[in-house]
Amino acid sequence: MMIESQSVAAPSIADKMKIEDLDIYYGSFRAMKKANLDVPDRHVMALIGPSGCGKSTFLRALNRMHDLTPGARVEGKVTLDGVDIYAPTIDPVTVRHRIGMVFQRPNPFPKSIFENVVYGPKIHGETNGARLQAIAEKSLRAAALWDEVKDRLNRSALDLSGGQQQRLCIARVLAVEPEVILMDEPASALDPIATSKIEDLIGELKKDYTVIIVTHSMQQAARISDFTSFFLLGELIEVGTTSDIFTKPRDKRTEDYITGRYG
Amino acid sequence: MARALAATPAPTVEKLGGSSNARSRRIVDRIATALLWTAASLVVFLLLLFIGFEFVKGASTISWHFLTGSPTAAEAGGGVGPLIFNSFYILILTLIFTVPIAVCSGMYLQEYAAGGRFKDVVQFSAESLATVPSIVMGLFGLLVFVTAFHWHFTALGGALTLTLLNLPAMMRVTQEALAGVPGTYREASMGLGATKWQTVLKVILPSAIGPLTTGVVLVSGRIFGETAALIYTAGASVSYGRGAYDFNPFHTAETLAVGLYQVHREALVPDVDRIANGSALVLLVMVLVFNVVARVVGRQLTVRFTGKA
Repeated sequence: MMIESQSVAAPSIADKMKIEDLDIYYGSFRAMKKANLDVPDRHVMALIGPSGCGKSTFLRALNRMHDLTPGARVEGKVTLDGVDIYAPTIDPVTVRHRIGMVFQRPNPFPKSIFENVVYGPKIHGETNGARLQAIAEKSLRAAALWDEVKDRLNRSALDLSGGQQQRLCIARVLAVEPEVILMDEPASALDPIATSKIEDLIGELKKDYTVIIVTHSMQQAARISDFTSFFLLGELIEVGTTSDIFTKPRDKRTEDYITGRYG
Repeated sequence: MARALAATPAPTVEKLGGSSNARSRRIVDRIATALLWTAASLVVFLLLLFIGFEFVKGASTISWHFLTGSPTAAEAGGGVGPLIFNSFYILILTLIFTVPIAVCSGMYLQEYAAGGRFKDVVQFSAESLATVPSIVMGLFGLLVFVTAFHWHFTALGGALTLTLLNLPAMMRVTQEALAGVPGTYREASMGLGATKWQTVLKVILPSAIGPLTTGVVLVSGRIFGETAALIYTAGASVSYGRGAYDFNPFHTAETLAVGLYQVHREALVPDVDRIANGSALVLLVMVLVFNVVARVVGRQLTVRFTGKA
């Protein structure tokens, strides 16, 4: 599988992350079996597959979110710029600083819009008011939300619509200046208009960030991603450029899924 | 298909509302609703009856002099001012000890201890402590603070006894307040590279502050009314001769609730009933105030810290 992914990725693209022989267990249940994946820098990698195939489980291993789940165990190697993020010398807090995450349901803090965006910079030690203001504006602009909220930054984030809340959560991640952004079905709780805004935004984000996105919608994967990997029953079946995966999948199981035989 | 449909008689209005089975079920349903409503109303009725009774008995006693004046030894016309002061004084001392320990241990159990033996041990200890009758706790206080430490009857000894008595409840309150905070906040904060402590301090606690405050004030109401645990620890006399409003934690401090118990038992004053009824009313009103304040302040803080109504 590694060979496949290397052969399809253009040689000029460096790999931002490499996942080697990744196993994930919940107690004695093996939720991911020996997954291998190279993630190209500043592109969008979509993870697709039927419900329960392990794609979200896989994603959460990439910034050590499983550390927070009692009973979850991760084996294998996940490297960011060649450094193993599971090495004993690595602080998981630093990993999550460099690899941000946007969740399935918008989860703004019950604080003001401004406080939500600057939460990350503040906990990482930024105290200068003017700089925080600048970070907030920059992040909200990058998340295509600034024009909608610039006059009510001190209002509660919970007053925003679902789509706005999700873009706020993206702005909140951007504010800590990560290198990789993980997204776990970020549009699944949103209406079609809000979804298309998020998709446009992802297209913008890949200029500066490496985006890995779990999606249950194949159309969405086709629209927004450069590369696609297909998961089934806790295994990573196939990786390739998105157009290859959707037009000439090599594995029979990928083809069955793409053509709607299951899922 | 068309024939099958035609063969089935169309449902009539009588059919929909008239079968005897449906009617009897509807009647049973109404009776059940009425019974449950009555039970719920009875609670409100009993409370109002109780308050009304106390008001009728005690209202005539209440005066500025009664609320601020000192008790007398033998003559009529004594007040309960120092007793009210002592109640608040011991309450505040108790909260100073209880809240930090209870909030920290509750926080540990809820946010840090992921299963494991230590969590079980702490939880079991708290639950056992919660079942100790307050009079037994009072005797323990007597043996430790009064006798072994040679403090005699002191406000501090009383407050420490009350701390032991109320730690479990306060810890439970903390755990429940924290458990009410959605897990998505924790994920979001940790996902941004926050440490556990930053997450607890900046996100979890502010989100839980409303219910937490409500819980603390409700427990305060119980502390305010506690009697048995104080009789043998804080003592049953006001600090005579040292001035009625005494901040020294090593002086005897009779609270309003203990005073109410004591006045009927051994007071020499002729107006025992008057003082008892007045004390009971003051105590009742204070505890009700705690309950109202708990709700109002809890809601205000929730709005302030989370923007949620």
